Amino acid sequence: MTEATDLAERAGDRDPRVGLRAVAALRRLLEQLEAVQVRNARNQGWSWQEIAAELGVSRQAVHKKYGRH
Amino acid sequence: MFERFTNDARGVVKSAFEYVEGGDGQSVEPEHLLLALLDREGSRGSFALTALGLGERRESVRQALRQARRRAGLSQADTDALAGLGIDVAEIVSRVEEVHGVGAMSGDRKDKGWWSGRPSFGRGAKGVLEHSLRVALAQRDRHIGDEHILLALTMRPGVPAEVLADHGVTYESLVRVLYGGGESKAG
Repeated sequence: MTEATDLAERAGDRDPRVGLRAVAALRRLLEQLEAVQVRNARNQGWSWQEIAAELGVSRQAVHKKYGRH
Repeated sequence: MFERFTNDARGVVKSAFEYVEGGDGQSVEPEHLLLALLDREGSRGSFALTALGLGERRESVRQALRQARRRAGLSQADTDALAGLGIDVAEIVSRVEEVHGVGAMSGDRKDKGWWSGRPSFGRGAKGVLEHSLRVALAQRDRHIGDEHILLALTMRPGVPAEVLADHGVTYESLVRVLYGGGESKAG
């Protein structure tokens, strides 16, 4: 666990590696959260248009990412 | 590149795809390559894992991979980095699971139908295979075997390397059992 320990030790300073790592991790977390919420909305019968409006993206974007039709 | 892969290395890639086709995520990731490696028998990679004491502990590695998947596939280093921002990943996962069920953040396709794409080869997994080629070149091996995929996995930051290191499998220990020496790291 040297890497994790290393990062934890330097979390307090301005090492860019820590900040960038956090951003990358946040993006991954966000992707999973989005997938969970889109799936839930689809299961409840929401249209791609409605989902896109809530996410603040185009219908095409959300459809391309999660849907086929 | 693929023409230089041994049958064992090809088998790892094929079986990684099968994990995804079976509903384990949406694209082939480095984690799937490791799961596929754990399944192999009689290969160089399998020999190295057994030599490092993983003969009986393969299930423990699978268990650790499952736990990481449950927290959105984040490694311990990722989770620590987010904690530095005041973000408690365990808390988020637990709240999402309360509403959407255990494993909701894992990216599994339990309810087939909502997600309809074909499994693709993820960027991370591609990176591992490219890295395995460099590892083989650095060791002056003419072919890319599953042991080179395993070596590459230990050299790239992420869940597989962390989980392997927790089980005593590192680049250095692998080189020791595979090549009997401590050669320098390949790019």
